[in-house]
Amino acid sequence: MPSPTLSGFQVRVTVGVADMAVSNNPGAILTTYSLGSCLGITVYDPYVRVGGLLHIMLPTSELDPIKAKSRPAMFVDSGVALLLQEVAKMRGQKERSIVCVAGGAQFLDSKGFFNIGKRNYESFKEHIQRLGLRLHAEAVGGLVSRTVFFHLETGEVRIKVSGQTNEIVLWKNSTPILTR
Amino acid sequence: MEELDAYLNQVKQLPPAPRTLAKLLTLLGDPDVDAGQIVEMIKNEPALTATVLQRCNAAFFASGEPVSNVAQALTRLGFNQVFRIVAVIVGSQSFSPVQKSYGFEQGDLWRHSVAAALACQKVAESKGDDPNLAFTAGLLHDIGKSVLSEAFEDHYTVLVQETEANQQSLLDVEKSVLHVNHAEIGGRLLERWKFGPELVNAVWYHHAPGEAGEYQRWAAYTYLGNMIAHFMSYSFGHQAFAFRGREEALNIVGITAEDIPAFMISTFEAIQPVETLFNMRK
Repeated sequence: MPSPTLSGFQVRVTVGVADMAVSNNPGAILTTYSLGSCLGITVYDPYVRVGGLLHIMLPTSELDPIKAKSRPAMFVDSGVALLLQEVAKMRGQKERSIVCVAGGAQFLDSKGFFNIGKRNYESFKEHIQRLGLRLHAEAVGGLVSRTVFFHLETGEVRIKVSGQTNEIVLWKNSTPILTR
Repeated sequence: MEELDAYLNQVKQLPPAPRTLAKLLTLLGDPDVDAGQIVEMIKNEPALTATVLQRCNAAFFASGEPVSNVAQALTRLGFNQVFRIVAVIVGSQSFSPVQKSYGFEQGDLWRHSVAAALACQKVAESKGDDPNLAFTAGLLHDIGKSVLSEAFEDHYTVLVQETEANQQSLLDVEKSVLHVNHAEIGGRLLERWKFGPELVNAVWYHHAPGEAGEYQRWAAYTYLGNMIAHFMSYSFGHQAFAFRGREEALNIVGITAEDIPAFMISTFEAIQPVETLFNMRK
């Protein structure tokens, strides 16, 4: 039976667009709503149970370096850097981190910059590879809007897709690891 | 047209008509208008006046003495600011029913519409076009969904299946199930509500700007405003991305795809105070 300590309480934290939250409170559920072409990126170190959720909107800070200074969480590169930095401050280690991504939706027959979801995702993949991070699970592309729930107690990442009744478990402790 | 009217006539409850907006836009389009007429018009709606003053006095605008009447609000904030406050309030009334069949939760369609309105305004402004008209077009572009929602309730599984499996757009599915789509229903509704041709066409063709004839610029602004809102996670409901990429919208407006991120960023900045003011965040 769980003891009635503070950690027994659930704390829901909502992460807005171009925003981020990092916590080591095992009761925390980090949530970000209705990702379209944006990406929700989670990083979790299971050893110290520290996790963070980032909601980026654009593929690279080169689009607006000044904005990237005041709002690093808006872009893939500056956002991921900030996320890892904040996780590290709570003793989370990059090498042990479980990384998941969701979002990157695409319009029908979209080309050029209309495929911003794909560009976000490609930039993300390239970026984490450069950082030596492994991607553990993903739910990307398609026409749907996704909401992410990230439970810090277990590291479980759940996705709710509008129109589908059940939440999907994107990652939990026993999820087979993506090899690519 | 007949089909649209037949459809609208059998709908039990139409969204409340945003007549104030139509009238305000007409006044605004008149070069000889004076502030007194605008004040008079807003004052005629006591409930609206109260909300407008309340919002004008909210923390983010507060500077010195609170405003106590519409004339003061106009002097202090300027017509555009007051107009947008009125528009957002009126918009929230039109979108207040939950559009369950599209998968919108309470307030979702309003959130999306406000984001689209600001994005639309940003794009139009950059081309020197009337920002208030563009804002209104973005705000009302999905008003047809409020109308179709009830009828669509039994069909949303078809919507999900058809868009997913057959790569159909939401608009195509509406047409095949209900024989009308939300864009044309919205356009016709605005026409009935006596909005001007720019707005009627902007909404009617917001998924096919190339077909809007002489008003295609307005339809293209609205298309892009809607798209930008989706790109910014103001993207709610089932199969939210089931609409077609229309590159002609860029050509019509005279921008390139590379300009879109800057509009996303400026819209992001513009929406922050509005979200605070109207307590819009989820």
